[in-house]
Amino acid sequence: MIKTSQLSKRVGTASSELEILRGIDLEIKQGETAAIVGASGSGKSTLLGLLAGLDSPTAGDIYLDDINIVDLDEDQRATLRSEKVGFVFQNFQLLPALTALENVMLPLELAGTQGAREKSEGFLARVGLGERLHHYPRTLSGGEQQRVAIARAFASAPVILFADEPTGNLDTVTGANVVRLLFDLNIEEGTTLVLVTHDTDLADRCQRKFSMSAGRLEEAL
Amino acid sequence: MTSPITSSIRLLLRDWRGGELGVLFSALLLAVSVVVAISGFVNRLQLNLERESASFLASDLVVSSASLVPLTWIDEADSLGLARAETVTFSSMVISDSDEMFLASVKAVGGAYPLRGALSIDTGSLQPSSDMPEPGRVFLAPRLVEQLSVSIGDDVYVGDATLTVAGTLLSEPDSTSGFFGYGPRLVMNSVDLNATGVIQPGSRVTYRMLVAGDSDQLDRFHDWVKPQLVQGQRVLTVDESQPGIGATLDRARGFLLLAGSLGVVLAAAAILVAARRFGERHTDQVAVMKSLGATKHTIQQLYAFSLAWLGLIAIIVGSGIGWLAQSAMFNALADQLPGEITATGWSPYITGGVTALVCIGFFAWPPLARLGAVSPLRVIRREETIADATRASDLVLGAISLGLLMLWYSGDLKLTGALLGSVALTVGLGFGAAQLLLKGSRQIGSSAGSIWRLALAGMQRRGNASAFQVVIFGIAIMLLLVLTAVRTSLLDQWRLQIPEGTPNHFVLNLASSEEQTLLDFFAQRDIEVGELYPAARGRVMAVNDKPLPNWDEFEEGARQREANFTSTDTLPEGNKLVSGSWWEPGTEDALISLEDGFADDIGAKVGDRLSLRIAADEFVVEVASIREVNWESMQPNFFVIFPDSLLQRFPSTLFTSFYLDPSEKPRVGELLALMPTLTIIELDVAIQEIKTIIDQVSQAIELVLLVILVAGALVLIAGVSASVDERLHESAILRALGASRSTLLGAVAIEFAVMGALAGVLAILGSEAAGWALQTQMLDLKYQVQWLLWPTGIALGGGIIGVLGTFACRKVVAVPPLQVLREL
Ligand SMILES: Nc1ncnc2c1ncn2[C@@H]1O[C@H](COP(=O)(O)OP(=O)(O)OP(=O)(O)O)[C@@H](O)[C@H]1O
Ligand SMILES: [Mg+2]
Repeated sequence: MIKTSQLSKRVGTASSELEILRGIDLEIKQGETAAIVGASGSGKSTLLGLLAGLDSPTAGDIYLDDINIVDLDEDQRATLRSEKVGFVFQNFQLLPALTALENVMLPLELAGTQGAREKSEGFLARVGLGERLHHYPRTLSGGEQQRVAIARAFASAPVILFADEPTGNLDTVTGANVVRLLFDLNIEEGTTLVLVTHDTDLADRCQRKFSMSAGRLEEAL
Repeated sequence: MTSPITSSIRLLLRDWRGGELGVLFSALLLAVSVVVAISGFVNRLQLNLERESASFLASDLVVSSASLVPLTWIDEADSLGLARAETVTFSSMVISDSDEMFLASVKAVGGAYPLRGALSIDTGSLQPSSDMPEPGRVFLAPRLVEQLSVSIGDDVYVGDATLTVAGTLLSEPDSTSGFFGYGPRLVMNSVDLNATGVIQPGSRVTYRMLVAGDSDQLDRFHDWVKPQLVQGQRVLTVDESQPGIGATLDRARGFLLLAGSLGVVLAAAAILVAARRFGERHTDQVAVMKSLGATKHTIQQLYAFSLAWLGLIAIIVGSGIGWLAQSAMFNALADQLPGEITATGWSPYITGGVTALVCIGFFAWPPLARLGAVSPLRVIRREETIADATRASDLVLGAISLGLLMLWYSGDLKLTGALLGSVALTVGLGFGAAQLLLKGSRQIGSSAGSIWRLALAGMQRRGNASAFQVVIFGIAIMLLLVLTAVRTSLLDQWRLQIPEGTPNHFVLNLASSEEQTLLDFFAQRDIEVGELYPAARGRVMAVNDKPLPNWDEFEEGARQREANFTSTDTLPEGNKLVSGSWWEPGTEDALISLEDGFADDIGAKVGDRLSLRIAADEFVVEVASIREVNWESMQPNFFVIFPDSLLQRFPSTLFTSFYLDPSEKPRVGELLALMPTLTIIELDVAIQEIKTIIDQVSQAIELVLLVILVAGALVLIAGVSASVDERLHESAILRALGASRSTLLGAVAIEFAVMGALAGVLAILGSEAAGWALQTQMLDLKYQVQWLLWPTGIALGGGIIGVLGTFACRKVVAVPPLQVLREL
């Protein structure tokens, strides 16, 4: 379950203060699928980052499974992430020093999971990169990097998966493939999915649909 | 198209705002300011120390002669613009009005005497005077005043001349020249010399010509006069006149130049690291610029101009900082420095500027020049990186330029060779070993826990960059170890040279019958007296029955065939046999042991038969051994030693030494009152001066070491920060994936510590090599393997680099990962 109350985020720039999120209240139940849509710069990525505990809000609370992650310190949030949360970055954020396979293995190794290699190879095969296991990110295309990032997010079998434009760089066929993987995960493992997307078809497939504009969130019913 | 000048300024301003320039600029600034500071400081200190030690001669150079100095020499000195003075020394009876008589060592001075240092005269007024005596006046040593029972204003007679006592001589700058057999000093004006009528053909007189001035002119004079010397003439410079001081100064100079050269190497290393990083960070920018239509030429021009601006600012600001730093260092010592404070010329700034240019041209430019070749494709696919673009040719060119720079800077081929050699060794070993170990770490890593895996995987993936970092760390640590080690052995050696309580008075002409009186005198006053040596003045007449030429007598020449002979059955402390063997104690054989220089002078070697004369006796002995004597030790030393049984056959007096605290100085007068026939040589002032110089130089060395340590630390910081961006990025992602603080910091710490420890090993190997070369080849110190360095170096390397690296990356656990990712 994800719940926020009066969540806001302000950043101070040199000249002025920018209010990115203005008092966001939302509640997503375990196992639900949710899509966040909105104009560029409206604050979608910022919200997703906050929900995943990657950044701290200026005000408000964020509950993940009844734990207020605002009260946790960085380390406790990290542990929570490694246990429950998967994240697909808008700009992938793969480690340039590691191969595709090693990138996917990383969360498993951090959590001390057995059989990290086999599992990771499996996930990479499922996103269509079974042949590119030992390639470094810089030699992969944008879409391929995105699929490695998705495989990495899947690998740790998260309870909640956040994905920032998971199909943004993919052609229709591969994109559809990835979307199928996401929903399979939701159905098979009961994983909560929170997606940021510009793709209306994908948004329509989700049970809940939110739209973001100028830092405010509204549920589209 | 805007001009490259304005666009390069714009680039610099943007980079400055973005914080990109910081490291490169500080490295350049460091190079310039360290070089300016150290060379300025060395310059001033050297001038000052030379002045100070020149006071031992009262000039920069002395020509002594048993006869009048040829007029052509005087003309030559004048035409070279050198300042000139003369002294004439001889022994003469001095008689007072009350008919007291005493044998004095008379020194007649003329010209601008003293050229260096100062006389200190108590004229009865409050201020001690430092002028030389006016014609008709004399200054007397306190003991002479006492012996003659005269006071200021009284007349004394030297030969036929009547002279008025104008003051008591408290100290004179050239008191230490001439060691044996003289009474207390009388200083007179050389104008009165003829009136005395004392100097007759055949009398034992030493004429000295003193000159001082610019070192180039001095060298020219020295080289000009040297070949013209005949027997009985000698030219002395500061270094030659005082082996203790000369060697001290030489070593100090060597050390400071070493330190300066290390500063240059360290700065170059920092610049290389910084420029690589600068280049890496600009690769994307250049790719974008190229994709927008910039040509290779435009890019290169842009960066060349930027670098030129950067260099210009670094030279100006660095010179300012260097000037401030050397003033601060110099002022810190100013209390101890005698005389006027010398200013620096332009040369340190020129050195600094040239250093900056070389560093820019050979260390900063190559990685930036490559930016021109960055493919615009990089915008799409980040395949290309200039990280692995440090080419062997760059390193070789860099090393050559650095070598030339150091050679120019230190003027010392050995020093340059030793340093470059050890740096090359470190680089070679470093890249080799780092590659091997980094490869090996893959195996270790895959079987280890996740922290180690992360650490080793990172290190290994960064392969070349890591090896480069290891080498840079290795060089920095090595240079610091070398400098610290050299400093330590230098200071130790100096401390040993004149330990506390070194005898500063020597007693000659003690009759055996008076031995007990003397011992009682000292025992009553609780003063420790040194060993008593029998001494007899003797002469070497022939070697293997071949007579030696009968040279004119004069004091400095004495060591060539006349000397004080002593006897002992045990090899004196501080003496080392170079050939032959020491005799059995109690031997009755006619044997002799010679000091090596003395043996060279008379052309004798072990097994030769020497014909000697003591008083009227002539006899033959066999050379049993040749010894090396440490003349810097300030202990009684002898050229010629017999077995005890041999010297007993000849009339001899005793010789000994003792240490007097300045507060006990009146004991000298008391002792002389008790035993008027003794000769006492007072070296307390001279020894004190040597100590002062050693203290100053030691402090200077500590200061310079500090500066170099700071430079070294900056290199380490530059090296660590070179990979911080990449690490921050990685760590932020890892954190997003749930890695804990301890995992992350652990991995970072391990990675840096492993690199640091590797660097430590390299540093030790390099520093042992450099240390050996420097200490034995250049500073003339004994070399010992510094076993303590091994654990220290490894721990130091691992510890410091580990801590620095972890500290530099600490941000990663303190700041939310999204912020880090956005900022990069
Ligand atoms: N740390 C920060 N400093 C300054 N501005 C920030 C910071 N973080 C976010 N912003 C700004 O907040 C706004 C929202 O950013 P965010 O990345 O959430 O947008 P987004 O909705 O994901 O847009 P897009 O669809 O283009 O990805 C942007 O204008 C962004 O520039
Ligand atoms: Mg976004």
